[in-house]
Amino acid sequence: MTGAQNREDARGWVTGSVAVVTLAFLLLPQIILLVESFTADSYLAFPPTRYGLRWYAFILSDDDWLDALRRSLLVAAIVTPVTLLLGLMAAYALDRGPPRGRRTIFTLLIAPMILPHVVLGLAQFQVVFWSHMQDTVTAYVLAHVTIALPYAIITIGASLQVFDRRLEEAAQSLGAAPWRAAFHVMLPVIRPGLVAATIFSFITSFDEFIITYFLSTRRVTVPIQIFNSLSFQLDPSIAAISGLTLMLTIGLTGFLMAGGQIASGGRILR
Amino acid sequence: MKDGTLESPEIDSKRPWLLLVPSASLYVFTFAVPLIVLVAASFEKTTGGVTVSSFSTDNYQSFFADGVALRAVLHTLYLSFAIATCCLLFGYPVAMTMRRSGGRMRLLLLFFVVSPLLTSVIVRNVAWILVLGREGLINVAWRGLGLTTEPLRLMYNDLGVVIGVVHVYLAFVVLPVFASLMAIDPAVEESAASLGATRVRVFWHVTLPLSMPGVIAGFTLVFVLCVGLYLTPVVMGGNFVVTISMIIGDLVRTQFDMGRASAFAVMVLLIVAGLLWLSRQFGQRYGVGT
Repeated sequence: MTGAQNREDARGWVTGSVAVVTLAFLLLPQIILLVESFTADSYLAFPPTRYGLRWYAFILSDDDWLDALRRSLLVAAIVTPVTLLLGLMAAYALDRGPPRGRRTIFTLLIAPMILPHVVLGLAQFQVVFWSHMQDTVTAYVLAHVTIALPYAIITIGASLQVFDRRLEEAAQSLGAAPWRAAFHVMLPVIRPGLVAATIFSFITSFDEFIITYFLSTRRVTVPIQIFNSLSFQLDPSIAAISGLTLMLTIGLTGFLMAGGQIASGGRILR
Repeated sequence: MKDGTLESPEIDSKRPWLLLVPSASLYVFTFAVPLIVLVAASFEKTTGGVTVSSFSTDNYQSFFADGVALRAVLHTLYLSFAIATCCLLFGYPVAMTMRRSGGRMRLLLLFFVVSPLLTSVIVRNVAWILVLGREGLINVAWRGLGLTTEPLRLMYNDLGVVIGVVHVYLAFVVLPVFASLMAIDPAVEESAASLGATRVRVFWHVTLPLSMPGVIAGFTLVFVLCVGLYLTPVVMGGNFVVTISMIIGDLVRTQFDMGRASAFAVMVLLIVAGLLWLSRQFGQRYGVGT
Protein backbone atom coordinates (compact mmCIF):
# COMPACT_ATOMS: atom_id res chain seq x y z
CA MET A 1 0.00 0.00 0.00
CA THR A 2 2.64 2.50 1.05
CA GLY A 3 4.85 1.33 -1.81
CA ALA A 4 2.12 2.09 -4.31
CA GLN A 5 1.53 5.40 -2.59
CA ASN A 6 5.21 6.26 -2.89
CA ARG A 7 5.26 5.37 -6.54
CA GLU A 8 2.23 7.56 -7.12
CA ASP A 9 3.89 10.43 -5.31
CA ALA A 10 7.01 9.94 -7.41
CA ARG A 11 4.95 10.05 -10.59
CA GLY A 12 3.18 13.22 -9.55
CA TRP A 13 6.56 14.62 -8.64
CA VAL A 14 7.96 13.84 -12.13
CA THR A 15 5.02 15.54 -13.85
CA GLY A 16 5.33 18.47 -11.49
CA SER A 17 9.04 18.96 -12.06
CA VAL A 18 8.74 18.71 -15.86
CA ALA A 19 6.07 21.42 -15.55
CA VAL A 20 8.26 23.61 -13.33
CA VAL A 21 11.28 23.31 -15.65
CA THR A 22 9.08 24.06 -18.65
CA LEU A 23 7.64 27.14 -17.00
CA ALA A 24 11.11 28.41 -16.10
CA PHE A 25 12.09 27.84 -19.72
CA LEU A 26 9.11 29.96 -20.80
CA LEU A 27 10.04 32.99 -18.71
CA LEU A 28 13.85 32.85 -18.60
CA PRO A 29 14.66 34.54 -21.94
CA GLN A 30 12.34 37.49 -21.35
CA ILE A 31 13.81 38.06 -17.88
CA ILE A 32 17.39 37.89 -19.17
CA LEU A 33 16.47 40.29 -21.95
CA LEU A 34 14.99 42.81 -19.51
CA VAL A 35 18.08 42.63 -17.29
CA GLU A 36 20.42 43.04 -20.27
CA SER A 37 18.42 45.95 -21.69
CA PHE A 38 19.37 48.04 -18.65
CA THR A 39 23.09 47.56 -19.18
CA ALA A 40 25.28 50.63 -19.22
CA ASP A 41 28.16 48.77 -20.86
CA SER A 42 29.15 49.37 -24.45
CA TYR A 43 28.68 45.72 -25.36
CA LEU A 44 26.32 42.91 -24.41
CA ALA A 45 27.64 40.40 -21.92
CA PHE A 46 26.05 38.56 -19.06
CA PRO A 47 25.84 39.79 -16.37
CA PRO A 48 26.21 43.51 -17.14
CA THR A 49 28.89 45.24 -15.09
CA ARG A 50 26.95 48.49 -14.73
CA TYR A 51 23.25 49.26 -15.00
CA GLY A 52 21.51 52.36 -16.28
CA LEU A 53 19.14 53.81 -18.83
CA ARG A 54 21.95 54.59 -21.27
CA TRP A 55 20.63 52.54 -24.19
CA TYR A 56 16.99 53.47 -23.63
CA ALA A 57 18.11 57.10 -23.85
CA PHE A 58 20.00 56.23 -27.00
CA ILE A 59 17.10 54.62 -28.90
CA LEU A 60 14.73 57.40 -27.84
CA SER A 61 17.03 59.98 -29.37
CA ASP A 62 18.05 58.03 -32.46
CA ASP A 63 16.13 59.04 -35.60
CA ASP A 64 16.00 55.56 -37.16
CA TRP A 65 14.62 53.86 -34.05
CA LEU A 66 12.17 56.68 -33.34
CA ASP A 67 10.94 56.64 -36.92
CA ALA A 68 10.32 52.88 -36.79
CA LEU A 69 8.71 53.12 -33.36
CA ARG A 70 6.34 55.89 -34.47
CA ARG A 71 5.35 53.95 -37.59
CA SER A 72 4.74 50.72 -35.63
CA LEU A 73 2.59 52.52 -33.08
CA LEU A 74 0.63 54.37 -35.76
CA VAL A 75 -0.11 51.17 -37.69
CA ALA A 76 -1.10 49.26 -34.54
CA ALA A 77 -3.26 52.17 -33.38
CA ILE A 78 -5.25 51.99 -36.63
CA VAL A 79 -5.27 48.20 -36.91
CA THR A 80 -6.63 47.56 -33.40
CA PRO A 81 -9.95 49.47 -33.55
CA VAL A 82 -10.56 48.47 -37.19
CA THR A 83 -10.02 44.79 -36.40
CA LEU A 84 -12.18 45.04 -33.30
CA LEU A 85 -15.06 46.61 -35.23
CA LEU A 86 -14.86 44.20 -38.18
CA GLY A 87 -14.42 41.26 -35.81
CA LEU A 88 -17.44 42.24 -33.72
CA MET A 89 -19.61 42.71 -36.81
CA ALA A 90 -18.54 39.38 -38.30
CA ALA A 91 -18.85 37.43 -35.05
CA TYR A 92 -22.30 38.97 -34.45
CA ALA A 93 -23.39 38.09 -37.98
CA LEU A 94 -22.29 34.48 -37.52
CA ASP A 95 -24.04 34.30 -34.17
CA ARG A 96 -27.35 35.74 -35.36
CA GLY A 97 -27.44 34.56 -38.95
CA PRO A 98 -29.15 31.33 -40.03
CA PRO A 99 -27.28 28.16 -38.97
CA ARG A 100 -27.11 26.99 -42.56
CA GLY A 101 -23.81 28.01 -44.14
CA ARG A 102 -22.47 29.26 -40.83
CA ARG A 103 -19.71 26.66 -40.74
CA THR A 104 -18.52 27.45 -44.29
CA ILE A 105 -18.50 31.21 -43.69
CA PHE A 106 -16.62 30.75 -40.43
CA THR A 107 -13.97 28.59 -42.14
CA LEU A 108 -13.54 31.20 -44.88
CA LEU A 109 -13.24 33.98 -42.32
CA ILE A 110 -10.49 32.27 -40.34
CA ALA A 111 -8.65 30.99 -43.42
CA PRO A 112 -5.84 33.63 -43.22
CA MET A 113 -4.86 32.04 -39.90
CA ILE A 114 -3.85 28.72 -41.43
CA LEU A 115 -2.11 30.28 -44.42
CA PRO A 116 1.64 30.57 -43.81
CA HIS A 117 2.49 34.26 -43.57
CA VAL A 118 5.26 33.90 -46.14
CA VAL A 119 2.65 32.81 -48.68
CA LEU A 120 0.25 35.61 -47.76
CA GLY A 121 3.09 38.13 -47.76
CA LEU A 122 4.28 37.06 -51.19
CA ALA A 123 0.73 37.15 -52.57
CA GLN A 124 0.05 40.61 -51.14
CA PHE A 125 3.45 41.86 -52.27
CA GLN A 126 2.59 41.33 -55.94
CA VAL A 127 -0.69 43.25 -55.63
CA VAL A 128 0.89 46.03 -53.55
CA PHE A 129 3.82 46.29 -55.94
CA TRP A 130 1.56 46.73 -58.96
CA SER A 131 -0.61 49.30 -57.24
CA HIS A 132 2.49 51.24 -56.10
CA MET A 133 1.53 50.91 -52.46
CA GLN A 134 4.88 49.67 -51.20
CA ASP A 135 6.11 51.44 -48.08
CA THR A 136 2.66 52.86 -47.26
CA VAL A 137 0.95 52.70 -43.89
CA THR A 138 -2.25 51.72 -45.73
CA ALA A 139 -0.65 48.57 -47.11
CA TYR A 140 0.69 47.61 -43.68
CA VAL A 141 -2.68 48.26 -42.03
CA LEU A 142 -4.60 46.17 -44.57
CA ALA A 143 -2.14 43.30 -44.19
CA HIS A 144 -2.19 43.38 -40.41
CA VAL A 145 -5.99 43.56 -40.17
CA THR A 146 -6.20 40.50 -42.44
CA ILE A 147 -4.09 38.36 -40.13
CA ALA A 148 -5.51 39.76 -36.87
CA LEU A 149 -9.18 39.46 -37.86
CA PRO A 150 -9.47 35.64 -37.49
CA TYR A 151 -8.32 35.84 -33.85
CA ALA A 152 -10.78 38.64 -33.17
CA ILE A 153 -13.66 36.68 -34.72
CA ILE A 154 -12.79 33.57 -32.69
CA THR A 155 -12.44 35.31 -29.32
CA ILE A 156 -15.46 37.60 -29.73
CA GLY A 157 -17.47 34.70 -31.17
CA ALA A 158 -16.63 32.56 -28.13
CA SER A 159 -17.93 35.18 -25.71
CA LEU A 160 -21.04 35.75 -27.83
CA GLN A 161 -21.77 32.04 -27.57
CA VAL A 162 -21.98 32.13 -23.80
CA PHE A 163 -24.02 35.35 -23.85
CA ASP A 164 -27.60 34.59 -22.89
CA ARG A 165 -29.63 36.25 -25.63
CA ARG A 166 -32.70 36.40 -23.39
CA LEU A 167 -31.02 39.26 -21.50
CA GLU A 168 -31.14 41.33 -24.64
CA GLU A 169 -34.73 40.31 -25.36
CA ALA A 170 -35.66 41.24 -21.80
CA ALA A 171 -34.15 44.69 -22.31
CA GLN A 172 -36.11 45.05 -25.54
CA SER A 173 -39.35 43.94 -23.96
CA LEU A 174 -38.77 46.61 -21.33
CA GLY A 175 -38.73 49.16 -24.12
CA ALA A 176 -35.09 49.48 -25.15
CA ALA A 177 -34.45 49.97 -28.85
CA PRO A 178 -32.60 47.00 -30.42
CA TRP A 179 -29.31 48.94 -30.84
CA ARG A 180 -29.61 50.19 -27.26
CA ALA A 181 -30.16 46.67 -25.97
CA ALA A 182 -27.17 45.44 -27.94
CA PHE A 183 -24.96 48.31 -26.80
CA HIS A 184 -25.87 48.39 -23.11
CA VAL A 185 -26.61 44.72 -22.44
CA MET A 186 -24.57 42.65 -24.86
CA LEU A 187 -21.34 44.67 -25.05
CA PRO A 188 -20.62 44.71 -21.29
CA VAL A 189 -21.23 40.96 -21.07
CA ILE A 190 -18.90 40.05 -23.95
CA ARG A 191 -16.22 42.43 -22.68
CA PRO A 192 -13.65 39.68 -21.92
CA GLY A 193 -13.79 38.61 -25.58
CA LEU A 194 -13.37 42.20 -26.72
CA VAL A 195 -10.41 42.70 -24.39
CA ALA A 196 -8.71 39.54 -25.64
CA ALA A 197 -9.33 40.62 -29.24
CA THR A 198 -7.84 44.06 -28.54
CA ILE A 199 -4.70 42.58 -27.01
CA PHE A 200 -4.25 40.12 -29.85
CA SER A 201 -4.87 42.67 -32.59
CA PHE A 202 -2.43 45.16 -31.15
CA ILE A 203 0.29 42.58 -30.60
CA THR A 204 -0.26 40.92 -33.98
CA SER A 205 0.21 44.27 -35.68
CA PHE A 206 3.05 45.54 -33.52
CA ASP A 207 5.01 42.29 -33.87
CA GLU A 208 4.25 41.35 -37.47
CA PHE A 209 7.43 40.71 -39.38
CA ILE A 210 7.38 38.75 -42.62
CA ILE A 211 4.50 40.38 -44.52
CA THR A 212 5.64 43.90 -43.63
CA TYR A 213 9.16 42.84 -44.60
CA PHE A 214 7.90 41.99 -48.09
CA LEU A 215 5.78 45.14 -48.39
CA SER A 216 8.49 47.56 -47.27
CA THR A 217 11.75 48.80 -48.68
CA ARG A 218 12.80 51.82 -46.63
CA ARG A 219 9.90 52.74 -44.34
CA VAL A 220 10.22 49.97 -41.82
CA THR A 221 8.54 48.98 -38.57
CA VAL A 222 10.28 48.13 -35.30
CA PRO A 223 10.64 44.34 -35.87
CA ILE A 224 12.24 44.93 -39.27
CA GLN A 225 14.54 47.62 -37.91
CA ILE A 226 15.64 45.16 -35.20
CA PHE A 227 16.17 42.46 -37.83
CA ASN A 228 18.20 44.77 -40.06
CA SER A 229 20.47 45.87 -37.23
CA LEU A 230 20.89 42.25 -36.07
CA SER A 231 22.68 41.48 -39.31
CA PHE A 232 25.44 43.93 -38.32
CA GLN A 233 26.01 43.05 -34.72
CA LEU A 234 24.11 42.42 -31.52
CA ASP A 235 24.67 45.70 -29.68
CA PRO A 236 22.91 46.90 -26.52
CA SER A 237 20.55 49.21 -28.43
CA ILE A 238 18.84 46.09 -29.80
CA ALA A 239 18.35 44.77 -26.26
CA ALA A 240 16.95 48.16 -25.23
CA ILE A 241 14.43 48.42 -28.10
CA SER A 242 13.46 44.77 -27.53
CA GLY A 243 13.04 45.48 -23.82
CA LEU A 244 10.92 48.51 -24.63
CA THR A 245 8.73 46.45 -26.99
CA LEU A 246 8.38 43.75 -24.36
CA MET A 247 7.37 46.18 -21.61
CA LEU A 248 4.95 47.95 -23.95
CA THR A 249 3.08 44.77 -24.94
CA ILE A 250 3.06 43.29 -21.43
CA GLY A 251 2.06 46.63 -19.94
CA LEU A 252 -0.81 47.01 -22.40
CA THR A 253 -1.96 43.45 -21.77
CA GLY A 254 -1.87 43.91 -18.01
CA PHE A 255 -3.69 47.23 -18.26
CA LEU A 256 -6.44 45.85 -20.48
CA MET A 257 -6.84 42.67 -18.45
CA ALA A 258 -7.03 44.58 -15.19
CA GLY A 259 -9.53 46.98 -16.75
CA GLY A 260 -11.63 44.16 -18.17
CA GLN A 261 -11.57 42.37 -14.86
CA ILE A 262 -12.70 45.35 -12.84
CA ALA A 263 -15.41 46.08 -15.38
CA SER A 264 -16.73 42.53 -15.30
CA GLY A 265 -16.60 42.45 -11.50
CA GLY A 266 -13.64 40.10 -11.31
CA ARG A 267 -15.49 37.42 -13.22
CA ILE A 268 -12.36 36.32 -15.09
CA LEU A 269 -10.70 35.20 -11.88
CA ARG A 270 -13.62 33.12 -10.76
CA MET B 1 -29.36 27.73 -24.16
CA LYS B 2 -29.81 30.68 -26.45
CA ASP B 3 -31.92 28.68 -28.91
CA GLY B 4 -34.41 28.36 -26.08
CA THR B 5 -38.07 29.11 -25.86
CA LEU B 6 -37.90 32.82 -26.58
CA GLU B 7 -36.54 32.19 -30.06
CA SER B 8 -38.00 34.84 -32.33
CA PRO B 9 -39.31 33.94 -35.80
CA GLU B 10 -36.84 36.20 -37.67
CA ILE B 11 -33.93 34.11 -36.34
CA ASP B 12 -33.61 32.43 -39.71
CA SER B 13 -33.41 35.74 -41.54
CA LYS B 14 -30.21 36.27 -43.48
CA ARG B 15 -30.18 39.97 -42.58
CA PRO B 16 -27.38 39.70 -39.97
CA TRP B 17 -25.12 38.50 -42.76
CA LEU B 18 -25.05 42.07 -44.08
CA LEU B 19 -22.63 42.72 -41.24
CA LEU B 20 -20.16 40.44 -43.00
CA VAL B 21 -19.82 42.85 -45.92
CA PRO B 22 -16.87 44.87 -44.51
CA SER B 23 -14.84 41.78 -43.62
CA ALA B 24 -15.68 40.10 -46.90
CA SER B 25 -14.68 43.13 -48.97
CA LEU B 26 -11.42 43.41 -47.06
CA TYR B 27 -10.65 39.75 -47.74
CA VAL B 28 -11.36 40.21 -51.44
CA PHE B 29 -8.53 42.74 -51.69
CA THR B 30 -6.10 41.33 -49.16
CA PHE B 31 -6.71 37.61 -49.45
CA ALA B 32 -8.67 36.37 -52.48
CA VAL B 33 -7.20 38.59 -55.22
CA PRO B 34 -3.60 38.22 -53.95
CA LEU B 35 -3.97 34.43 -53.89
CA ILE B 36 -5.35 34.39 -57.42
CA VAL B 37 -2.47 36.60 -58.54
CA LEU B 38 -0.08 34.24 -56.77
CA VAL B 39 -1.40 31.17 -58.55
CA ALA B 40 -1.38 33.00 -61.90
CA ALA B 41 2.19 34.16 -61.35
CA SER B 42 3.29 30.65 -60.49
CA PHE B 43 2.51 29.57 -64.06
CA GLU B 44 4.22 32.56 -65.65
CA LYS B 45 7.56 32.10 -67.28
CA THR B 46 9.77 35.16 -67.33
CA THR B 47 13.28 35.76 -68.57
CA GLY B 48 14.98 38.95 -67.49
CA GLY B 49 11.74 40.46 -66.26
CA VAL B 50 9.86 39.85 -69.53
CA THR B 51 6.97 37.40 -69.57
CA VAL B 52 7.74 34.70 -72.13
CA SER B 53 4.76 32.48 -71.54
CA SER B 54 1.69 32.93 -69.40
CA PHE B 55 1.17 29.23 -68.97
CA SER B 56 4.17 27.10 -68.27
CA THR B 57 4.96 24.56 -65.60
CA ASP B 58 8.66 25.46 -65.60
CA ASN B 59 8.50 27.00 -62.12
CA TYR B 60 7.00 23.83 -60.70
CA GLN B 61 9.53 21.68 -62.51
CA SER B 62 12.35 23.67 -60.96
CA PHE B 63 10.89 22.89 -57.55
CA PHE B 64 11.58 19.20 -58.11
CA ALA B 65 14.57 19.54 -60.40
CA ASP B 66 17.25 21.48 -58.54
CA GLY B 67 16.96 19.60 -55.26
CA VAL B 68 17.53 22.73 -53.17
CA ALA B 69 13.84 23.46 -52.71
CA LEU B 70 12.96 19.83 -52.14
CA ARG B 71 15.71 19.46 -49.54
CA ALA B 72 14.48 22.64 -47.81
CA VAL B 73 10.93 21.26 -47.72
CA LEU B 74 12.09 17.98 -46.20
CA HIS B 75 14.18 19.83 -43.62
CA THR B 76 11.22 22.09 -42.82
CA LEU B 77 8.98 19.07 -42.29
CA TYR B 78 11.65 17.42 -40.12
CA LEU B 79 11.94 20.57 -37.98
CA SER B 80 8.15 20.90 -37.78
CA PHE B 81 7.84 17.30 -36.58
CA ALA B 82 10.61 17.75 -33.99
CA ILE B 83 9.07 20.98 -32.72
CA ALA B 84 5.51 19.62 -32.53
CA THR B 85 6.76 16.50 -30.70
CA CYS B 86 8.74 18.56 -28.17
CA CYS B 87 5.73 20.83 -27.62
CA LEU B 88 3.65 17.76 -26.85
CA LEU B 89 6.24 16.15 -24.53
CA PHE B 90 6.72 19.31 -22.48
CA GLY B 91 3.23 20.76 -22.90
CA TYR B 92 1.26 17.72 -21.72
CA PRO B 93 2.69 17.72 -18.17
CA VAL B 94 2.04 21.47 -17.97
CA ALA B 95 -1.58 20.97 -19.04
CA MET B 96 -1.95 18.17 -16.45
CA THR B 97 -0.49 20.38 -13.73
CA MET B 98 -2.89 23.16 -14.74
CA ARG B 99 -5.83 20.76 -14.50
CA ARG B 100 -4.79 19.73 -10.98
CA SER B 101 -4.22 23.23 -9.60
CA GLY B 102 -6.72 25.64 -8.14
CA GLY B 103 -8.17 28.75 -9.76
CA ARG B 104 -5.50 31.36 -9.02
CA MET B 105 -2.58 28.99 -9.59
CA ARG B 106 -4.16 27.89 -12.85
CA LEU B 107 -4.46 31.50 -14.00
CA LEU B 108 -0.80 32.10 -13.14
CA LEU B 109 0.30 29.01 -15.08
CA LEU B 110 -1.84 30.12 -17.99
CA PHE B 111 -0.12 33.50 -17.96
CA PHE B 112 3.30 31.79 -18.01
CA VAL B 113 2.30 29.66 -20.97
CA VAL B 114 0.89 32.46 -23.11
CA SER B 115 3.52 35.06 -22.11
CA PRO B 116 5.84 34.21 -25.05
CA LEU B 117 2.86 34.78 -27.37
CA LEU B 118 2.70 38.33 -26.08
CA THR B 119 6.32 38.85 -27.03
CA SER B 120 7.40 39.70 -30.55
CA VAL B 121 9.18 36.94 -32.52
CA ILE B 122 12.24 39.06 -33.10
CA VAL B 123 12.37 40.13 -29.44
CA ARG B 124 12.14 36.49 -28.36
CA ASN B 125 14.96 35.60 -30.73
CA VAL B 126 17.15 38.39 -29.37
CA ALA B 127 16.39 37.12 -25.87
CA TRP B 128 17.42 33.59 -26.83
CA ILE B 129 20.69 34.83 -28.34
CA LEU B 130 21.42 36.34 -24.91
CA VAL B 131 20.78 32.95 -23.30
CA LEU B 132 22.17 30.47 -25.82
CA GLY B 133 24.79 32.47 -27.71
CA ARG B 134 28.57 32.12 -27.39
CA GLU B 135 28.62 34.88 -24.77
CA GLY B 136 25.15 34.01 -23.50
CA LEU B 137 24.03 33.12 -20.00
CA ILE B 138 24.46 29.36 -20.32
CA ASN B 139 27.92 29.49 -21.85
CA VAL B 140 29.11 32.05 -19.29
CA ALA B 141 27.80 29.86 -16.46
CA TRP B 142 29.32 26.77 -18.08
CA ARG B 143 32.72 28.43 -18.27
CA GLY B 144 32.35 29.76 -14.73
CA LEU B 145 31.92 26.22 -13.47
CA GLY B 146 35.18 25.40 -15.22
CA LEU B 147 33.55 22.47 -16.99
CA THR B 148 34.99 23.31 -20.39
CA THR B 149 36.78 26.00 -22.32
CA GLU B 150 35.00 25.12 -25.54
CA PRO B 151 31.67 27.01 -25.81
CA LEU B 152 28.57 24.85 -26.20
CA ARG B 153 26.95 25.09 -29.60
CA LEU B 154 23.38 25.77 -28.53
CA MET B 155 22.36 27.83 -31.53
CA TYR B 156 23.17 28.33 -35.19
CA ASN B 157 21.93 24.77 -35.67
CA ASP B 158 18.64 22.84 -35.57
CA LEU B 159 18.71 22.76 -31.76
CA GLY B 160 18.61 26.56 -31.51
CA VAL B 161 15.66 26.74 -33.91
CA VAL B 162 13.75 24.01 -32.05
CA ILE B 163 14.32 25.71 -28.66
CA GLY B 164 13.30 29.11 -30.02
CA VAL B 165 10.11 27.85 -31.63
CA VAL B 166 9.00 25.41 -28.90
CA HIS B 167 9.22 28.37 -26.51
CA VAL B 168 6.33 30.14 -28.21
CA TYR B 169 4.28 27.31 -29.76
CA LEU B 170 4.09 25.38 -26.49
CA ALA B 171 0.97 27.42 -25.75
CA PHE B 172 -0.76 26.04 -28.85
CA VAL B 173 -0.42 22.51 -27.44
CA VAL B 174 -1.07 23.32 -23.78
CA LEU B 175 -4.33 25.18 -24.44
CA PRO B 176 -6.19 22.50 -26.47
CA VAL B 177 -4.81 19.64 -24.33
CA PHE B 178 -5.89 21.50 -21.19
CA ALA B 179 -9.36 22.00 -22.67
CA SER B 180 -9.59 18.27 -23.48
CA LEU B 181 -8.40 17.29 -20.00
CA MET B 182 -10.95 19.58 -18.38
CA ALA B 183 -13.71 17.92 -20.39
CA ILE B 184 -12.88 14.51 -18.86
CA ASP B 185 -15.16 13.58 -15.99
CA PRO B 186 -12.82 12.69 -13.07
CA ALA B 187 -15.33 9.99 -12.11
CA VAL B 188 -14.28 7.98 -15.17
CA GLU B 189 -10.67 7.91 -13.99
CA GLU B 190 -11.70 7.24 -10.41
CA SER B 191 -13.81 4.28 -11.39
CA ALA B 192 -10.92 2.84 -13.42
CA ALA B 193 -8.68 3.28 -10.37
CA SER B 194 -11.25 1.77 -8.01
CA LEU B 195 -11.42 -1.27 -10.28
CA GLY B 196 -7.71 -1.77 -9.57
CA ALA B 197 -5.94 0.04 -12.38
CA THR B 198 -2.65 1.68 -11.40
CA ARG B 199 -2.22 5.37 -12.13
CA VAL B 200 0.04 4.62 -15.07
CA ARG B 201 -2.63 2.33 -16.52
CA VAL B 202 -5.37 4.87 -15.88
CA PHE B 203 -3.29 7.45 -17.72
CA TRP B 204 -2.53 5.25 -20.75
CA HIS B 205 -5.95 3.68 -21.10
CA VAL B 206 -8.31 6.40 -19.91
CA THR B 207 -6.84 9.90 -19.64
CA LEU B 208 -4.62 9.92 -22.72
CA PRO B 209 -7.19 8.46 -25.17
CA LEU B 210 -9.85 10.86 -23.88
CA SER B 211 -7.51 13.82 -24.36
CA MET B 212 -6.60 12.82 -27.92
CA PRO B 213 -8.79 15.49 -29.56
CA GLY B 214 -6.70 18.16 -27.82
CA VAL B 215 -3.45 16.36 -28.59
CA ILE B 216 -4.30 16.09 -32.29
CA ALA B 217 -5.53 19.69 -32.51
CA GLY B 218 -2.42 21.06 -30.79
CA PHE B 219 0.03 18.89 -32.69
CA THR B 220 -1.57 19.79 -36.03
CA LEU B 221 -1.67 23.50 -35.29
CA VAL B 222 2.01 23.59 -34.33
CA PHE B 223 3.03 21.43 -37.27
CA VAL B 224 1.14 23.59 -39.77
CA LEU B 225 2.46 26.84 -38.28
CA CYS B 226 6.02 25.48 -38.49
CA VAL B 227 5.76 24.85 -42.22
CA GLY B 228 5.86 28.63 -42.61
CA LEU B 229 8.86 29.16 -40.30
CA TYR B 230 10.98 32.04 -41.48
CA LEU B 231 12.39 34.43 -38.92
CA THR B 232 13.57 32.09 -36.17
CA PRO B 233 15.59 29.85 -38.55
CA VAL B 234 17.19 32.97 -40.04
CA VAL B 235 18.16 34.47 -36.69
CA MET B 236 18.76 31.38 -34.56
CA GLY B 237 19.78 28.96 -37.26
CA GLY B 238 22.35 31.22 -38.84
CA ASN B 239 23.05 30.03 -42.34
CA PHE B 240 23.01 26.43 -41.21
CA VAL B 241 19.27 25.84 -41.25
CA VAL B 242 17.35 26.42 -44.48
CA THR B 243 13.56 26.28 -44.58
CA ILE B 244 11.34 26.54 -47.65
CA SER B 245 10.10 29.94 -46.49
CA MET B 246 13.68 31.22 -46.43
CA ILE B 247 14.10 30.07 -50.03
CA ILE B 248 10.90 31.88 -51.01
CA GLY B 249 12.01 35.00 -49.15
CA ASP B 250 15.35 34.92 -50.93
CA LEU B 251 13.69 34.51 -54.34
CA VAL B 252 11.56 37.59 -53.67
CA ARG B 253 13.96 39.90 -51.88
CA THR B 254 17.23 39.25 -53.69
CA GLN B 255 16.54 37.41 -56.94
CA PHE B 256 13.17 39.00 -57.71
CA ASP B 257 12.03 35.74 -59.30
CA MET B 258 8.31 36.05 -58.65
CA GLY B 259 7.35 33.08 -60.82
CA ARG B 260 9.42 30.55 -58.94
CA ALA B 261 8.68 32.13 -55.55
CA SER B 262 4.94 31.88 -56.32
CA ALA B 263 5.20 28.28 -57.47
CA PHE B 264 7.07 27.33 -54.30
CA ALA B 265 4.46 29.17 -52.23
CA VAL B 266 1.69 27.19 -53.94
CA MET B 267 3.58 23.99 -53.09
CA VAL B 268 3.70 25.12 -49.44
CA LEU B 269 -0.07 25.64 -49.56
CA LEU B 270 -0.56 22.14 -50.95
CA ILE B 271 1.61 20.71 -48.16
CA VAL B 272 -0.44 22.56 -45.54
CA ALA B 273 -3.66 21.27 -47.11
CA GLY B 274 -2.23 17.73 -47.09
CA LEU B 275 -1.27 18.00 -43.42
CA LEU B 276 -4.73 19.25 -42.47
CA TRP B 277 -6.29 16.36 -44.38
CA LEU B 278 -4.04 13.85 -42.59
CA SER B 279 -4.92 15.34 -39.22
CA ARG B 280 -8.63 15.02 -40.05
CA GLN B 281 -8.16 11.33 -40.82
CA PHE B 282 -6.48 10.85 -37.45
CA GLY B 283 -9.09 12.93 -35.68
CA GLN B 284 -11.97 10.86 -37.04
CA ARG B 285 -10.44 7.79 -35.45
CA TYR B 286 -10.86 9.42 -32.06
CA GLY B 287 -14.32 10.66 -32.82
CA VAL B 288 -13.35 14.28 -33.39
CA GLY B 289 -16.29 15.66 -35.32
CA THR B 290 -14.79 18.52 -37.27
